[in-house]
Amino acid sequence: MPQLELVATLEGHQDRVWQASWHPTKTVLATCSGDKTVRLWAPISQNDFSTWQCIDTLEGAHKRTVRSVAWSPHGNELATASFDATTGIWENDARDNSWECVATLEGHENEIKSVAWSSTGALLATCSRDKSVWIWEVETDNDFECLSVLQEHSQDVKMVAWHPTQETLASASYDDTIKIWKEDEDDWFCVDTLQGHTSTVWSIDFNAKGDELVSGSDDKTIRVWKMYEPNNTQGIATPYGQPVWKTVSTLSGVHDRCIYSVAWSKVHNHIASAGGDNVIRVLAKDSETLDDNAPSWNVVASVKNAHGVHDINAVAWFPTDKHGDWLASVGDDGVVRIWRLIAD
Amino acid sequence: MSNNLINSNPAIFNTKRFLREQTKEELDDSIEDAIDAEEVFDLIRSISDPEHPLTLEQLNVTQNDHITVNNDSNRILIEFTPTIPHCSMATLIGLCIRVRLLRSLPERFKVDIQVRQGTHQSEEAVNKQLNDKERVAAALENNHLLEVVNQCLSTAHLAHARDIPAL
Repeated sequence: MPQLELVATLEGHQDRVWQASWHPTKTVLATCSGDKTVRLWAPISQNDFSTWQCIDTLEGAHKRTVRSVAWSPHGNELATASFDATTGIWENDARDNSWECVATLEGHENEIKSVAWSSTGALLATCSRDKSVWIWEVETDNDFECLSVLQEHSQDVKMVAWHPTQETLASASYDDTIKIWKEDEDDWFCVDTLQGHTSTVWSIDFNAKGDELVSGSDDKTIRVWKMYEPNNTQGIATPYGQPVWKTVSTLSGVHDRCIYSVAWSKVHNHIASAGGDNVIRVLAKDSETLDDNAPSWNVVASVKNAHGVHDINAVAWFPTDKHGDWLASVGDDGVVRIWRLIAD
Repeated sequence: MSNNLINSNPAIFNTKRFLREQTKEELDDSIEDAIDAEEVFDLIRSISDPEHPLTLEQLNVTQNDHITVNNDSNRILIEFTPTIPHCSMATLIGLCIRVRLLRSLPERFKVDIQVRQGTHQSEEAVNKQLNDKERVAAALENNHLLEVVNQCLSTAHLAHARDIPAL
């Protein structure tokens, strides 16, 4: 059996850590916390990954919890979403390698829960307890224009995630649904509403190709959804001429409390999940299953009490081949951990 | 406040002076006492109602029998009973219970707080909100709300409330 080996434990945040985001290429991790800051972490040297340090603390821009942090695709900008109803845009000044908040996006009525950059970096999405999803266009000189305010969720929106290559957005909500959004001649609209979870959907992540999506919920299940294009060979109806998403796997019994985070590795296809039961699980698709429309997923590695007695709020796989086996986790204990998935 | 009370005339219950029998094991410092329902009840019984100068115990909102503690799995379930089925204070009362336990119990416990089944018309919505830790965290960053919660938790002015005879 593969296993997760602890590589490093990073301490410094003064409150619970909500989310972790890897730099798109470098061995740098950004984490955000109830202590209103973002911390950047990196190994002390590029030959020794056993010792990490906090290389920078981004603070002063948010008056409340920083709930979400996201790197731009090139890694020279960071977006931070805060309970103070603003989104911060931070830029790296190459001269002294310092970070500065260069823009603050306002508009949401209350707490922002998540922020995400599209794959090209041309668009930014934010979502809030005010039930809306906002799409922003990234212009030059740190200018951001709101292109659309999407108000079809009936409750608090917990997370937004962009398709890995296309300008398609997914959003997950306290209303138990996931919605898929696309643009049509400057108009953003909801292509599909994914129903099945019986409580809050906390987390979503696409697979590498973007034709499957994983979701984790307060209903203690993980669902894997598959996209069916119009005229698909399985005969799945697409009444509006748009792709539809169907659950192809429902995983129960993997966690026995709320699932706060799911992460689908674009490198090796494993799904990591974690939540209120203090456990990290790694799932792999059963290679024996021939039917792509009903795959089975199995737990192949797990760590109990990965953050002691505390909830785990997020897990994140390193995005590239270089360290594709690295998984970061953050918890209510204020601690950040780096794990390595060791194959058989 | 007195003009627009949600429940202007709540039923008040006689509260028995709570005396717990001390066992030999409890007096022995070398033995670790497991946390039980009585101990949890003791933490929340004296929380005051947002509207009335009465405790949750006096209003029968919390009861010892509606607390389940599992020390092996570190789980606690608190069920509380709003005074009336349309009580708009239910979420606030639940939040007060949550905050008191967050501040008092060992971190190992996972606490679920629920309206007792069938006692509130929107019990599902109340339960969902009380157990969404992100919304609880956001609520507790709201200074006004935190003040109200602290007010309900500060029972100094109710030090002898449990001895006040039922009206």
